[in-house]
Amino acid sequence: MLKEFKKTLLKVIHLRSIIGYNGLVYALKKTPVIGKILPDKLYSTMFLKVIYWVFHVIAEVFRLFIGKIFGLGLIYVFSFILMNLYVEHDMAPGVPNSVLYSSLALFFFIIYAFCGIMLNKSVFGWTNDKEYMVFMLRMNARKLNYTLYTYDLVKLVIGYLLAGIIGAVLGAPFWLCLGIPVLAVFIKLFGTGFQAFRFRRKRKRNKLLKISITGNIIGFTCILLAAPFVFMIVANGYYIPLPVMLAVSGVLILLGLWGYKEINACDSILHRRILHDNIGKNELNAYTKTDNTKSFKKIKAKGSVKESKKGFEYLNALFLKRHSGMLVAKPIAFAVVIFAAMGLVIGLFIYGYYQRFGAQNCLNMVGNNLLNMILFRHYEDALLPLDDQSVSSFFRWLAGSHMLAMLFPIAIADNAFKSTQAMYINCDNCLMTFSFFKQREKIIKLFDIRFKQLIKIHLAPAIACGMLANLILFCTGGQDFPFQYVLTVLVCILMNVNYSLIWLAMYYLFQPFTTSVNVKSGIYNVIRIVVSCLLTLIVFIPSNTFVLTVVLAVFTAVFVFTMRKLVYKHAPKTWKAKS
Amino acid sequence: MEFVISHLVKSYGSKQVLKDVDFTFEEGRIYGLLGRNGSGKTTFFNCINSDIDINSGEFYFRGEGNEKIPVMPEDIGYLVSTPTVPEFMTGREFLKFFIEVHEEIKPDRTIDEYFDYMMVPEDDRDRLLKDYSHGTKNKMQMLLNIIAKPNLMLLDEPLTSLDVIIAEEMKNVIRNQKQGRITIFSTHLLDVAVDLCDEIVLLHNGKLEPIDKSNLGNADFKEKIIAALKDQDDA
Repeated sequence: MLKEFKKTLLKVIHLRSIIGYNGLVYALKKTPVIGKILPDKLYSTMFLKVIYWVFHVIAEVFRLFIGKIFGLGLIYVFSFILMNLYVEHDMAPGVPNSVLYSSLALFFFIIYAFCGIMLNKSVFGWTNDKEYMVFMLRMNARKLNYTLYTYDLVKLVIGYLLAGIIGAVLGAPFWLCLGIPVLAVFIKLFGTGFQAFRFRRKRKRNKLLKISITGNIIGFTCILLAAPFVFMIVANGYYIPLPVMLAVSGVLILLGLWGYKEINACDSILHRRILHDNIGKNELNAYTKTDNTKSFKKIKAKGSVKESKKGFEYLNALFLKRHSGMLVAKPIAFAVVIFAAMGLVIGLFIYGYYQRFGAQNCLNMVGNNLLNMILFRHYEDALLPLDDQSVSSFFRWLAGSHMLAMLFPIAIADNAFKSTQAMYINCDNCLMTFSFFKQREKIIKLFDIRFKQLIKIHLAPAIACGMLANLILFCTGGQDFPFQYVLTVLVCILMNVNYSLIWLAMYYLFQPFTTSVNVKSGIYNVIRIVVSCLLTLIVFIPSNTFVLTVVLAVFTAVFVFTMRKLVYKHAPKTWKAKS
Repeated sequence: MEFVISHLVKSYGSKQVLKDVDFTFEEGRIYGLLGRNGSGKTTFFNCINSDIDINSGEFYFRGEGNEKIPVMPEDIGYLVSTPTVPEFMTGREFLKFFIEVHEEIKPDRTIDEYFDYMMVPEDDRDRLLKDYSHGTKNKMQMLLNIIAKPNLMLLDEPLTSLDVIIAEEMKNVIRNQKQGRITIFSTHLLDVAVDLCDEIVLLHNGKLEPIDKSNLGNADFKEKIIAALKDQDDA
């Protein structure tokens, strides 16, 4: 039997090392720059395999340390500290230290072990190597699961015995240091046996034998809910007497024996079926997880486009119409929220005015004073300025001399990145197989149309941001110079134009997307990070709105010109479909 | 006019997929590009269509007076095995758009006449392309290439997974469209190649090798090709 166990375990370890090593080499070969240097021979280099093996063993030992030695070691240390506190405050008079220590350590260990049952991977669960072993190499599923389970139990016992050294050093009785590993085995057997019991019942009812984590989550939540009571017991200096803890342990050992019986009752067909059903579940999860294109496939055959639109104008108009929910909803929702917030602020001011001057005069005075404000820029009587000086001056500082901070809400409202993804997935990916679509003149024509379209889509949130800044200016003392209100809106629009242009131009210059909406371009990712960092830094730069408008206007003109040139020159080569 | 490929090389890392491809294709003929799975047929087409960069070599058209004419994107019509069409448009909208962006083309039929020619069912014409069957999407791809009238037509296994009727309809269209252009039809199915093509070219060890067309249809012709392809495996 031992020989059989050793043979199966060696097969598993061998396969795991192959999967692990080949997976590592594959990942390295897919890495930009490094991947191109590495030769295919790497897959069969014995020397590197040995190195991988050494690291694999170190990792296994490390996992043992973290999971077992560290966990139980902490319990021993914590119980030791608690015991000393109890003794110091005379919470357990007449109880020998070793008995108190054992009682506390057992109490915490049982809670810890049950958390482990809930959180640890099931022996019946799916793994890559198990799938290969059972379904390709035709290994007996029961034998495989039992081998892996026994291996886990051996690791558990060794780990806990090693942790027992910590307990022994801290004064734990010898029987406790030896007993806890044994108890751990029985608790684990109980947990696994309970799962086996559920699977056998499911099979009788002809149900799918999927591993459900719902029960585990409920169980774990129950344990967490018990935490306050545990703290209450500890904080009040209570403890559960050792005979009670030993009785509980005895019951758990009996449950463990029942679990062992249940595990043994599972035949190899059941093991195989559980694995089979969980492979299906896993594949389904993987499919739903990786299918990022779902949100892009909500196309509705609604509406038509004016006859006057031709060619690419026609294509773009149709694209917008059929993807309006995807492209327009977010910027519009953002603008609506901003305007609603502004309406709320204005409403509050008017309400304050109503309270101050009464209902009868309210409307007249607001109207008259608004006229005063428009004609003579004198508004103090019409609307109540913010009372809180510090808040007022902060917002004034923001809207008056830090308009670049508006990049932040503009970036939130911007949908250009998602728009470029939708363009690729639902339109360009298909049209890129046609030669006309890659012609320089046609590329730039569509680029221009799309750029204008993105500006139009984001005009509402940009104006909303500008109006919000204006409202702040207005409430905190009005504009500093003529036309500041107009320039504030203009600044927001210009920032939005540039922000949209960045994503559109980057899409044309790097075409980073695959048909599964993944980004498959190292340079694109690097530029994305650099751009994000730059924009974050820019936000903090103070600026006079007038100067900012001029600078932004010049920058926008240069940026648009440069990007168009680059797209015209390079996009015919870079704008290609990636699978 | 001829389409000339001269010393074309394409490698992926250390793996050379196309090794010094040298071949001349003649106008008005359908060439069956026959090769095993993974022999590089799609790579060859992607190189010609400039979807991927080549390592070395060149390809061009040779005019009547032996002059070199560069291959422009508009000269190529490329049909991929998995039809790709913009799913948010209806068949009619897509055709309208396609005709409008090809200002140089003067269509000799109306949109419905084109649909009729390709036997696209009437009730499909105003539906979104995403709801089209695989076969109808394929027909749409073919139709666009018929309208664009490219000088070089690359057909990458276009009959794969089509039902018998649609496959037969497509074959007829390909035959009818061969005049005035060079058609290269890739397949790994020998019967299809024998049935449809005027010439058969093997993609063999990364090189193109013509098969004597006088043998086409002989009983032992298939055995010869299979032997040649096995050769490739042994090499």
